[in-house]
Amino acid sequence: MPSFDAINYSLRPSKSIQRQIVFDGMALLPDVMDLDRLAYIGLGSIWFTDFVLAHKVLRIDDMVSIEGDDIGYSRAKFNTPYSTVRVVHGLSTAILPQLFDDTSLAGRPWMVWLDYDYSFDESVRDDVRSVIENAPVNSILIITFNALDRKYGQKPADRVEHLRKLLGAVVPDELEATACRAEQMSVTLTDIGLDFMKSIALDIARPGGFVPAFRVLYRDTTPMVTIGGVLPTRGAARGVKDLVNGTSWPARPAKPIMAPHLTMREAAVLQSLLPCATKLTRADIQKLGFDLEQDQIEAFETYYRQYPAFAQIVS
Amino acid sequence: VTTDLTDKKVSANPTKTFFVKMITKDILLEDCILDLIDNSVDSAWQREGGRPMGLSEGVDLSKYSVSITISPTSFRVVDNCGGMTLDDAVNHAFSFGRQATETNENYSIGVYGIGMKRAVFKLGTDIKIRSTFTDESKQRVPFSVPINVQTWLENDVPPWDFDIQSDAPLEEDGVEIVVNGLTVGATRAFDSPSFVQNLRRTIARDYTLHINRGLKISINGKVVPGVQIELRTSDEFAPMHVEYKDETDGMEVSVEVIGGMFAPPPDTSEPDEKGDSENPYGWYVGCNGRIVLAADKSTLSGWGVDGWPVWHPQYAGFLGLVLFTAANPAALPLTTTKRNVDTTSEIFRRARPRMRDVTRQWIDYTNSRKQALEEAKEKERKAALVSIYQLKKVEAAKLPALTARRGPPPANVHYSVPVTKMKKLAQALGNINLAYRDVGLKSFDYTYGELVGDE
Repeated sequence: MPSFDAINYSLRPSKSIQRQIVFDGMALLPDVMDLDRLAYIGLGSIWFTDFVLAHKVLRIDDMVSIEGDDIGYSRAKFNTPYSTVRVVHGLSTAILPQLFDDTSLAGRPWMVWLDYDYSFDESVRDDVRSVIENAPVNSILIITFNALDRKYGQKPADRVEHLRKLLGAVVPDELEATACRAEQMSVTLTDIGLDFMKSIALDIARPGGFVPAFRVLYRDTTPMVTIGGVLPTRGAARGVKDLVNGTSWPARPAKPIMAPHLTMREAAVLQSLLPCATKLTRADIQKLGFDLEQDQIEAFETYYRQYPAFAQIVS
Repeated sequence: VTTDLTDKKVSANPTKTFFVKMITKDILLEDCILDLIDNSVDSAWQREGGRPMGLSEGVDLSKYSVSITISPTSFRVVDNCGGMTLDDAVNHAFSFGRQATETNENYSIGVYGIGMKRAVFKLGTDIKIRSTFTDESKQRVPFSVPINVQTWLENDVPPWDFDIQSDAPLEEDGVEIVVNGLTVGATRAFDSPSFVQNLRRTIARDYTLHINRGLKISINGKVVPGVQIELRTSDEFAPMHVEYKDETDGMEVSVEVIGGMFAPPPDTSEPDEKGDSENPYGWYVGCNGRIVLAADKSTLSGWGVDGWPVWHPQYAGFLGLVLFTAANPAALPLTTTKRNVDTTSEIFRRARPRMRDVTRQWIDYTNSRKQALEEAKEKERKAALVSIYQLKKVEAAKLPALTARRGPPPANVHYSVPVTKMKKLAQALGNINLAYRDVGLKSFDYTYGELVGDE
């Protein structure tokens, strides 16, 4: 079943926060590199949430959405949010090489966000390789994939072997099975995935290399990982590195995002206490007349600026 | 008018720039780092008496270590292998190439006297080589040789030399080389996680005989583990293990040839998904303990020439090792990069027939095995891995004689499916890493059981 039939994309608070964090980071990049005439390439599904942000936050006009499903393609075309969004029918592995030869996309930077709803597999690996090898200078590559441990093999030892087959030389020989279990699997996939991206850029001697910049772990119903980076010109590389390794860079949160599911009323009341000089406690919430776990309170406190408001419209 | 040519000569002096460019052009960065490790190993070996390198020599290198630290901005290697003496530095270590009169009779790996210079020039432009050694009067003597390549290149007028300076002593007697101002190639490579991982693998393989003797080599603080080379032995399996002396240009060379079953051969002769280049089978060549050719399945070791068949996946499982040991490394079949065997070397060519004999035996075994698979597997299961250090001398490898059994002729199936579906099916069958062939066989067995019924 295509994921748009299984998931209502708008009702995932952690996903929504993750998306905004990525665009918060993107919004800082024009200070250090030339993103003039940036084009957006993504997997817009039928919802186009990231496309709307790309247009509103980054002012991107030219956008391409890749859709592999037949019905999904028809629905995606119906749902395109702007006249400048082009929906292309096919799998990303087949479509990306066509885009590399597309004259309307040549000679300008791309923001490529391949937001997969499945695990990091051979097709993801091939997409990553082809984008890093072919994307124009000053492009940005971001991928999102499912990091649930058992998607990579039943036993932890199987997962180690699977990663080795999938990603080759970058997988450390000493990678232990314990690193491929539960939450640790997301961290392992993140680290190895970024190493893989970096190695490809260095293997083909991209002049500015690959600068890892995006590292967001989040979970609504299943653990997901967003990783990516910048493919700058040689001249821009130093500035990009300084920016993304600086303390103000938002797209590398220290902890996984696990946003609580709150009612609009709960979110609004909690928000009215923030920002707050001291950390909110469970007792503070209980005083408001309801209750939350401490980690839920912390998550809201960290991400209340990006916390989405969901409402059902009864018509 | 005729021009007077008396006393006229054309200039044939080299320039430093030419030297630096030429000697660094045809060598990989990885090999340069190995050259520096070779120097440390030679130093340690020298301290242990510069003895022969045969497998039966019980030399303990456990007190020696080589630590390499690499980052996109600098390179550092430091060892505790005794250090370079002042005399070595003044007369040998910084010359470009050995002098014809120099003798080198210490079972070292360095032959040409070029490794360290080539390595540091390949790495960067701001170089400092420090050494601390203990002299004959038991005094520790520290010194350093700083090299700024740009400044050094400015003047081509001989003599070409580098300044030696006094320095603070290193923690232990040894050598430290620090390179800053890395070249673009070095910066890129040192920033690449796959370069670092592959460097670890290469060191683990090429220095496995030294590491097995206790030498510690670390990269960025992590010790590189050695590779245990073992062959299977039982009443019916005995690897070949012969040793003989040879000679070239008056220099004696000891040769040890070992070959046999490392792992049971595959049940099918189709290439596995890993590919032949990634599996450990084939021939290994070692020169004074350093592996210079690994898992070779090409014409270099003899496959496909001189009556050997070309390598085929059917022969997987075979591992051969030929070790050349000589007091003077010039006698060894070694190329200047030490990453290959000099196939024109008479020493190597004379070793080939023995390598071929054991290879032939293995090929014959894998052929007969196809007709008696179950019997062969049973016998292979009983064979245990034995370290190459414990192998007995055996003139010709022993492999079981198998009795061919005839069953119904096999039907071979070959078809293509999307790899993602194949992986999903492998996972559904219980193991995402199942070979495609096994996914096919299990699917066949499953369908056969469902539709035909078990036999």
